[in-house]
Amino acid sequence: MRIHDLDGLHDIRRTGLMKLLPGKPRIGVGMGTCGMGNGAREVFQALERELERQGVDAQLTPVGCFGFCAAEPLVNVHIPGLPLAVLGEVKPDDAAAIVQAIALRQPPLEKAICKIEEWDHLTGHVMYGRGLPELPHWNEIPFFKGQKKIVLRNCGLINPEDIEEYIAVGGYHAFYQATQKPNVTEIIEEVKKSKLRGRGGAGYPTGVKWDLLSKTVADQKYIICNADEGDPGAYMNRNEIESDPHMLIEGMLIGAFATGASEGIVYLRAEYPLAVQRLKRAVAEAREFGLIGDNVLGTSFCFDIKLVEGAGAFVCGEETAMIESLEGRAGRPRPRPPFPAQKGLWGKPTNINNVETWCNVPVIVARGGAWFSEIGTAQSTGTKVFSLVGKIRNTGLVELPLGTPLKNVIYDIGQGSPGGKRVKALQSGGPSGGCIPADNFDVTIDYESLAQIGAIMGSGGMVVMDEDNCMVDVARYFVEFTHSESCGKCIPCRAGLDQALRILKKITGGQAEESDIQDLEELGQMIKEMSLCGLGQTAPNPVLTTLRYFRHEYEEHLRARRCRAGVCEDLFLSPCENSCPLHMRIPQFLELTKEGRIADAAEMIWLDNPLPGSTGRICQHPCESQCRRKTVDAPLNMREVHRFISDQVFGGPLLDEVRTRLAGRRMAATGKKIAIVGAGPSGLAAGFYLALLGHDVTIHEAREEAGGMLRYSLPQYRLPKDMLSKELEIIAGLGVTFRFGQKLGAGVSLDVLEAENDAVFLATGTWKAARAGITGEESPSVWHAIHFLEQVARGEPTQIGQKVVVIGGGNAAVDSARTALRLGCEVTIAYRRERQEMPAIAEEVTDAEAEGVRLQFLVAPQRVVTDKRGRVTGIELMRTKLGDYTLDGRRRPMSTSEKIVVPCDNIILAIGERPDAEPLRRFGIHVRENDTAAADWVTYETNRPRVFAGGDLVTGASNVSSTMATGKAAARAIDHILTGQDRLPALLGTFDVAQAVPPEPEGGARNVSEEMPAAQRRANFAEVMRGLTQAQAAAESGRCLRCDVRETCSAKE
Amino acid sequence: MPKIITLKIAGTEIKADEGSTILDVARTNDIFIPTLCSFKGLSNVGACRLCMVEVRGVPRLLPACATTIVEGMDVTVDSPKVGKYRKMIVELLLAERNHICAACVSNGHCELQALAQRLGVHHTRYPYRYPRLKVDASHVRFNYDPNRCVLCTRCMRACEEVEGARTWNVMGRGINSVMVTDLHQPWGESPSCTSCSKCVHVCPTGALSEKGCAVGEMVPRENVFTYLKSMRYSGR
Repeated sequence: MRIHDLDGLHDIRRTGLMKLLPGKPRIGVGMGTCGMGNGAREVFQALERELERQGVDAQLTPVGCFGFCAAEPLVNVHIPGLPLAVLGEVKPDDAAAIVQAIALRQPPLEKAICKIEEWDHLTGHVMYGRGLPELPHWNEIPFFKGQKKIVLRNCGLINPEDIEEYIAVGGYHAFYQATQKPNVTEIIEEVKKSKLRGRGGAGYPTGVKWDLLSKTVADQKYIICNADEGDPGAYMNRNEIESDPHMLIEGMLIGAFATGASEGIVYLRAEYPLAVQRLKRAVAEAREFGLIGDNVLGTSFCFDIKLVEGAGAFVCGEETAMIESLEGRAGRPRPRPPFPAQKGLWGKPTNINNVETWCNVPVIVARGGAWFSEIGTAQSTGTKVFSLVGKIRNTGLVELPLGTPLKNVIYDIGQGSPGGKRVKALQSGGPSGGCIPADNFDVTIDYESLAQIGAIMGSGGMVVMDEDNCMVDVARYFVEFTHSESCGKCIPCRAGLDQALRILKKITGGQAEESDIQDLEELGQMIKEMSLCGLGQTAPNPVLTTLRYFRHEYEEHLRARRCRAGVCEDLFLSPCENSCPLHMRIPQFLELTKEGRIADAAEMIWLDNPLPGSTGRICQHPCESQCRRKTVDAPLNMREVHRFISDQVFGGPLLDEVRTRLAGRRMAATGKKIAIVGAGPSGLAAGFYLALLGHDVTIHEAREEAGGMLRYSLPQYRLPKDMLSKELEIIAGLGVTFRFGQKLGAGVSLDVLEAENDAVFLATGTWKAARAGITGEESPSVWHAIHFLEQVARGEPTQIGQKVVVIGGGNAAVDSARTALRLGCEVTIAYRRERQEMPAIAEEVTDAEAEGVRLQFLVAPQRVVTDKRGRVTGIELMRTKLGDYTLDGRRRPMSTSEKIVVPCDNIILAIGERPDAEPLRRFGIHVRENDTAAADWVTYETNRPRVFAGGDLVTGASNVSSTMATGKAAARAIDHILTGQDRLPALLGTFDVAQAVPPEPEGGARNVSEEMPAAQRRANFAEVMRGLTQAQAAAESGRCLRCDVRETCSAKE
Repeated sequence: MPKIITLKIAGTEIKADEGSTILDVARTNDIFIPTLCSFKGLSNVGACRLCMVEVRGVPRLLPACATTIVEGMDVTVDSPKVGKYRKMIVELLLAERNHICAACVSNGHCELQALAQRLGVHHTRYPYRYPRLKVDASHVRFNYDPNRCVLCTRCMRACEEVEGARTWNVMGRGINSVMVTDLHQPWGESPSCTSCSKCVHVCPTGALSEKGCAVGEMVPRENVFTYLKSMRYSGR
């Protein structure tokens, strides 16, 4: 079967094409490691059985991987005359239907995701057929759109275990062409012209490297293929070898021919058994066909390829360490110079290139260097294969022209994070690479741009991280990896990484001091600049880039002992507690409720959250999104359980008990006086804790009653005001004095408060409505949501008319809409994005819709339409369409020319609120650009000593629990400053709670309180949610998986 | 005759033979560049990274021991940055193993100690790791205390490149690296060791010492290789 010349090659090509297009149906099953892991072998066997059983004549063949990992196992079906149909997520059970369809000469469309009419293998061309209009072309579906397959030109389409199929698509023709060149320098010139750069990550020009080797005179030269792909999350090279091993062999043949090397070595990870097996087979086939060995293709050229299985040391990816390893020593790098091109393997000139670099070579020879250099950017030409993994919907192997913006990969091809969470960062280049924050996703993927922002191209691993990833922990993870993979030869890497890891563990364990960050940064810089080899020089990158872009996360771990992502387990009780701004001890109060210890549960809840009745009704409940029970069925309904407990308290004799218990917790009087301005949730929380800590607290409030937004903005049907009053009585009962009608800057002066008190806490909220900036906004029929809601809350008559359009998508918009509806209006909410992007609580939106509120999406207000007499008759809206992705991972609403007028007589603008910054400025408090007060994010102290600020005044309009959390944190800091001790943890105390995890999830389905039917509730302001019953609350509490309990498994062992 | 190259080291214009390293030239001209793994007569491994220097026009730091001189080169041997990093390396070494001078045979003759003094390292910012490594006193004439080892591999190179015995090697990797004799057998039972004592006299610290030395008494012999020729078969 030896091929001696071009005719021989053409003969094989014809045989191969008969296999690719056999004149009968051909089924290819994607049998890479990834496909097999998802059951491709079973699918293959099932198809085999079905073909036999149904007696269908078709060719069933394994192929490599087409790259779309998220849709594995992939199967492609070709029926002569029709396009190749790519099927995704094929299960063995689907085999019967697939074969049935094939028997009828119809492609099985049910599982089809795309079609291929013709394929350019770059070295050859295959025409499958036209038709199947119902299927999108392969490059029209999001995952493949924008991809360009050069390296992966054959992957998933040919049988990797059959050299004839490789030759059929033009394989080994480029090598033949190369052997026909009168001078080998022509080949090297072509590679130089292509500007191909090393795909292992460093990006050294391949042609220059080859030139060096070819010019070196020696009796023996080696070429090596670096296939020691070891970084976590990277599997490009594995797939390239598994799916198309011959392209690597051909690339190496050309390289050897051009540089005069007579032996090639592939250093391949032993952890890639399938790649080892396929490459071995491919080498044997190539030898059998006379493509390697002596007198290749009838020329005088002799070349052999040896396969060496690496023993799993990451450092052996470093070329000099690899050479040591090949020589039989431990893999430890040598200093360069001498470079391998001068003195490499066994002291002979050696050239090392990455798998992907070699794989590009046949195409460059076949199509020319000029053709190749047209792709990509001027300095980074061609494409690069990336493995896109982590928190991303479409995982898979992606091949892109260099110069593609990163955001296209994340949002267009990858389709963002599953579950709609925000993508936070990308780790490019594995443990040697850097973290790129989402804010930088408009960076283009090329060697220079990535280096500029501190990351590297690396071998092509892209690990996507979302808000549930802690960046400090990510840095710790990668340093732990490089620390254990460090060879130990040079001191910076060996001892430096050890100390860096120790500091990182201190930070994630909540034990670190502020000086540790500086030590870590200095260590990282030193290791980077002083280490011997690439491993050490790049190992600090994850630390340095996270320190650069996510320093606030380090500071949060250090100063607030908090891991927002909920990863560093030493820093929190449970995921729900960690996500709760108030850090309510949720699993513990659930356990107390389950045991029927309602008084204890009530005491704990009040200590954690002084307004449990209000928050139990209206909280945004971030706890639910973190609840691990959702992996079993549905998240716990924690909010309604604590509402249940507060309802129990207000409904009976428990009230006195709770009051007594809280009063009993009050610490001895300190004699310190504290003034709070603003009786909203933040001020109330601060007042509650400061009173319990023994201070003398007075709250000054501009309005007539306490409660802030809870009283004057939240509608009665969500939050009954008599319940709120009862909560306020408890706070007043603990010794907090209220003074009403006191407005900062009018009735109260900050200077006076400061002089008369030991500390001042400002929490005056956000009571100024943002303006929309549209014509006609000044009309009396155009309302601002907070003014409208306040007027209704005060019980004042409102002239809201018959037809109302509410502009906005937040809670204020939905509250206004449902309130207007209850006043008898016909209501439409107009929002500029889509439903899933509405910031309002999802249940509220559903409820509003059930009550009859109309929702209009993708529209932006243009102007208020009035009649001749100036009366509002409608609002003009422009239709928007979602354009490209912005850096926050949402699609930008783009203007269109289409305008519509929605008839109405009143308009409510609910597009945001801001604080009144004037009084603050007057008193010399630093104010940010958006009018919020500038305060420390841990202590909430402003630039004026002992003057603190919190709530929406600092954060901008937020939600009740976040706002209360700032009051709680400020109270802790104020107490700390005034008494010199951190006493809040002692005040909160500990409760004796059973520490046992149910062996199996208990409690059945999620319990939700009964809702008043929509038809009944839409005409009045009666409360909608009736609250859980005793039985429901007990059952719901029992559903908790008790993530707070640690160390039970070991006890049982 | 080798070609003569003109370069500048620490501001001084120097002429030197082509093919020499920056470190060679600096030493010949009495310009101090700290080193720990380098030893005259042994190959350079570039492991300690203490000899890193700045060369004008080169963005990266370069190891003086492995960088050959080039015409017109301008070398700064102790820039503030390099000085800071060198101190960090010495501190890392002091924290890595149990370097307790007061109880060490090499006190007063230790290169690590001298380096720390010269670089002004009087404390270390990193906490001590306090490894508990087993001392090997099985050899009749020598002691091996890995707790004082800095993994410079001079012993290994002396053994392999000069003596040709290849008794010493590194076991493990990363922070767990440790020098071992043969296949981690007791030194005294080593079939390959010729007891030539080269390793002992090239050791920069008190990790390898002659038996019978008390604190501060282990004085490595100058010019060890010439001296040792005569000692080669006398021991055991």
